Amino acid sequence: MTQVAAEPPAEGVRVRPSRVRPALIRPREVVLAGVSAALGRHLGMPVALARVGFAALSLLGGLWALYALWIQGAPVAAIAGLAPPLLYLWLWAFVPRERDAPDAVRSRRVPVAAVLLGLGIAVALVVPFTWSPTHRLLPVGIVESTLLTVLAIVWTLAVDARDPQRAASAPLVRALAAGFLILFGLFLLPTAFVDSRTLVAIVGVALVLLGVAAFVVPVLLARWSARAAERAALAREEQRSEIAAHLHDSVLQTLAIIQNRAGAGSEIARIARAQERELRDWLFAGTDPFAGDLATELKTIARELELVHAVRIEVVTVGEVGAVESHALAAAAREALVNAARHAGGDVTVYAEATPDAVEVFVRDRGSGFDPDAVPDGRLGIRESIVGRMTRAGGTGVVVSGADGTEVQLRLPRGRAAASGVAGAAGVAAGSGGAP
Amino acid sequence: MTRVIIVDDHSIFRTGLRTDLGDAVEVVGEAGDVDAAVRAIDELRPEVVLLDVHLPGGGGGGGAEVVRRSAALLAEVRFLALSVSDSAEDVVGVIRAGARGYITKASSGAEVAAAVATVAAGDAVFSPRLAGFVLDAFGTAAGAPAVAATDDELDRLSAREQEVMRLIARGYAYKEVASHLFISIKTVETHVSSVLRKLQLSSRHELTAWALERRLL
Repeated sequence: MTQVAAEPPAEGVRVRPSRVRPALIRPREVVLAGVSAALGRHLGMPVALARVGFAALSLLGGLWALYALWIQGAPVAAIAGLAPPLLYLWLWAFVPRERDAPDAVRSRRVPVAAVLLGLGIAVALVVPFTWSPTHRLLPVGIVESTLLTVLAIVWTLAVDARDPQRAASAPLVRALAAGFLILFGLFLLPTAFVDSRTLVAIVGVALVLLGVAAFVVPVLLARWSARAAERAALAREEQRSEIAAHLHDSVLQTLAIIQNRAGAGSEIARIARAQERELRDWLFAGTDPFAGDLATELKTIARELELVHAVRIEVVTVGEVGAVESHALAAAAREALVNAARHAGGDVTVYAEATPDAVEVFVRDRGSGFDPDAVPDGRLGIRESIVGRMTRAGGTGVVVSGADGTEVQLRLPRGRAAASGVAGAAGVAAGSGGAP
Repeated sequence: MTRVIIVDDHSIFRTGLRTDLGDAVEVVGEAGDVDAAVRAIDELRPEVVLLDVHLPGGGGGGGAEVVRRSAALLAEVRFLALSVSDSAEDVVGVIRAGARGYITKASSGAEVAAAVATVAAGDAVFSPRLAGFVLDAFGTAAGAPAVAATDDELDRLSAREQEVMRLIARGYAYKEVASHLFISIKTVETHVSSVLRKLQLSSRHELTAWALERRLL
C-alpha cells in the first residue's frame, strides 16, 4: 500500500511529474485508532473529512443493517451495511504504526474503555424497561451489555495500561465495570427462573467471562510478577548502595592505610591495592558509563599487572574513549605497561585522552630508564609490539627514556580508525564527547 | 615548620599519618568530625589542614562543609584534601568549596609532606587524577570550547594551562613540567594556581553537577 518513489528515470526521458503519496502509516497520537489520520494523510484529503466520512457511513450502514434485518428480513443485505465499520477495523488491524520512535508513547484522545462501559450500561438500562422477561430480544440485550462491559475491562488492561494519559483513569473505569457486572448479574438472576432463555443467556455470558479470564489472568500474573521482580531489584540496589557506603568508609579506608603503612611496592601494599580495586569494581559495578572501552581495558590491565609486579598504576582518562580504537592501542598500551611494571616498578601513570582528532595514551614510569636505540634486535617488546603495532594501525608510537623514567607515547588518529572498517562510530564518539 | 591539623574520622589513619609525616611538619591537632574540625581550626589556626573528604557530623557535608564553614579563615588556613575516593563528585566538591589541592590516601608520608609544603606556600597541589578531572570538566578533550584568549576567562583554560594540566595528568612533577615546556617552576605553579581558581569560580557546566554525573571512575 505504501507508495515509494520509483526508480530514477533514464536521462533524456520525459517523465510525467508524479505525486508521491505519503506512506499509509498510522500516527502514534490518535483520536481512536489513527485510521482516519493515516487515510487522510495518504490520500491528501483533510483528516476531518475522513473522520466524519467514516462516522457517517458507519451510522448509515448500521441503520441500513437494522432496516434490512427487521423490516425486510434479509440478513445478507444487512451485512453490506456493516461494510464501513468492518473496513475501519480492517485498516486498524493491517495499517502499520509509525516506527520512527520505538519508545514513543501512544495515546488516543477518545476514552475508549469509558465509552464501551457507557454503551454497556446504556444497553443494560434499556433491557428491563423495553422488554418483558419473556421477550425474545432479552437474551441478546444481556449478552450485548455484558460483552461491551467486558470489552471495556479488557481495553483498560491491554491498551490503556500503556497510555500515560489513561493510566490514572483506567483502574476507575475497570472498577466501575466490574461493579456494574456484579449488579447486573444480581439483578438478572431472579429472572433466570422465569425464563429458561435468560438462564441460557446467563450461562453463555458466564462462559464468555471464563474465556476472557483465561486471556486476562496470565497477562495480569505476568505483570504482577514483573513488578515484584522490579521491586526486588530496587531493594537489592538499595541494599548494595548501603553496603557500598559502609564499605567505602571502613574497608576502603583500612586498605588505604595498609598500603600507606606498608609502603608502595611492598607485597602487602600490592595485595591491599589489588583488594581495593576489586572491591571498588564490585561496589560500583554498573555505574561506570564506559564499560567495554579503552578506559576499562586500561584499568583491567593495570589491575592484572599490580597483582604480579611491585607496581602502583594510576589510570586517568579524559574524554570518551570509544571501543573502536581500542584494539591496537590497548595492545600497545599493555605492552608498555608490562615493560614499566617489569623493569621500572614503583609508581606508573597511565593517561588516556580522546580528542576529536585522535586518541592518545601515555604510560610513564619512574624507573632508571634505558636507551631505546640500544635495545637489541632480538627484543621484540618495544620495537615490534609498541612502535610497529601502532604504525601498522596508522598511528605513532614513541618511547622517550631518561634518567628520571620512561614515557611511552601512543597516538591513533580518529580518521584512520574510522577508515579501517568501523566507519561512523568514531564520529559518534567525537560528537558525544562534548558533554561528559 | 608548617603547623598542620589532621582531620579524619579514623584515629588509626590520623596516627599513621602523624608517624609518617615525622619531623617534616608540626601536627598541632587532630579532629574526627565536622564540628570538631571547625572548632579546632578556629582555635589553633594551623597553616594547613589535611582534610578527609568523607567526614561524619555537621550537616552531612563532609570535608567540603568544613572548608565552607571555615571560609572566613581561607586567607590564612589552607586546606589539602585527602581521600580514598576517586570520584569526581567528592574531589571537585571539596576543591570548589575552597581546598587548594587533592591527594590520595595511598600517598606516602614524603609525598604528603611535599604537598603540605606546596599548599603552605600558597600554591595548588594537583594529582594526575585531579588534572584529568579538570581537562574533562573544561571539555578540552572534546575540543568544544576554544582556548581562552586571556587568562581572565573563568570558563576556559588557556593553551598553556591545558598543556600544564596534560603533563600533570601524564604523571609529570612540577619541575618536569617546567623543563618540558621550557618555563620556570614558578610559572608552572602560577598556571596551576590559575587553573585552581577557575575550577573554584567557574560556572561552566555547573561543575558540581558535572561531577555528580560522573559518579565514581
